[in-house]
Amino acid sequence: MKVVTLWLDGLWDRNPALIQLLGLCPLLAVSNTLENAIGLGLATIFVLVLSNASISLIRNLVDDAIRLPVFVLVIAALTTCAELLVQAFDYPLYQSLGIFLPLIVTNCLILGRAEALARREPFVISTMDGLAQGLGFFMVLVSLGAIREWASETLILAALPPGAFIALGLLVALHQVIQSKLKHLRAKVIANTKDRRVRTTGDIS
Amino acid sequence: MTLRLAAFGLITSLFVGVIFVITKPLILEAKEEARIAQLYALAEPLLADGTIQTPISKELPSDAPTSLERPLRITPIANVASQIGAVIPFRSTEGYSGTIQLLIALDNNQRIVGLRAIDHQETPGLGDKIDTRKTDWILKFNGLSYLDLSPNDWAIDKDGGRFDSFTGATITPRAVVNALRDTLNYLNTHPQLLEANP
Repeated sequence: MKVVTLWLDGLWDRNPALIQLLGLCPLLAVSNTLENAIGLGLATIFVLVLSNASISLIRNLVDDAIRLPVFVLVIAALTTCAELLVQAFDYPLYQSLGIFLPLIVTNCLILGRAEALARREPFVISTMDGLAQGLGFFMVLVSLGAIREWASETLILAALPPGAFIALGLLVALHQVIQSKLKHLRAKVIANTKDRRVRTTGDIS
Repeated sequence: MTLRLAAFGLITSLFVGVIFVITKPLILEAKEEARIAQLYALAEPLLADGTIQTPISKELPSDAPTSLERPLRITPIANVASQIGAVIPFRSTEGYSGTIQLLIALDNNQRIVGLRAIDHQETPGLGDKIDTRKTDWILKFNGLSYLDLSPNDWAIDKDGGRFDSFTGATITPRAVVNALRDTLNYLNTHPQLLEANP
């Protein structure tokens, strides 16, 4: 059950980009093209999964006094590795992501998951949470990139920074609409089952 | 706990060090490939008639401007008979953050065939408009030579010159134009620096 909630939270119910609104800096800046969005999204998943996994592994070795510096050390080291690997295997992508690749280290989502979950939960749960949250972030980043690249062919505003805010606003609104419809539906289903139960008892009595 | 923190520092540094050593040759290779691709894009008009030669290094006289690296690494472009141009790197340290590395291709009359900013850390959205991935600003220099304009015109509009500076960022285009002016001015009086076989 816990695993199901964990995936639902990361991908939809508490999506890092649409509900928690974390990691907006890279989300808004690098979503101008689909290719950049995919590249940065994958790099973020890489860092988030490994940071959640390693922080969960060392969770019993660090006390409150050195917790934050150790977490920052781990995240910084992983980001540096991601930067080196992208540079080695996809140099053009490294060039077009520029400063936003090393800036993964400042993505609040990563330290946020370390603090909120990975420092308490066992290895498998933490790693899975990293993957779920990372994929949730990736999905929004890639949708934003696709929407902006497609829209910028007719509307130059979509490629500019204000276009990022507007497109993200629309996505957040869409998420809210679907979410409230779902809630409504869920309430209806529950009400219906209750009704039936009442009727059943009624028939019996 | 302090010791433990130090141990974590050591372990993470070691980890990064290992990845660094593993990726280093791959990164150097990727950089070299990117550099050659850039050379091709930059010198394209010259390549109809010539090919890229092995780079050579030259010592610079002491009065050379700081925009030129020492020693100067020249990539000559030549056809079967003779040299038809050259590609040289130059740089500006007056940018908003860090050094701006540029590359310029010149023909035998020292006319600009191509100009690119190849490495910089200028502010995204403002200073990075010198990059061809963002705007075509830097392509406006194509076809110019130093003697086409008076020395005062070799500056951005805010300094009374001929070249646009973009809104919100003056420092970056000023850095590029000034370094370009110094470089072209110096090469104009020292044309032998561009020759592969003086």
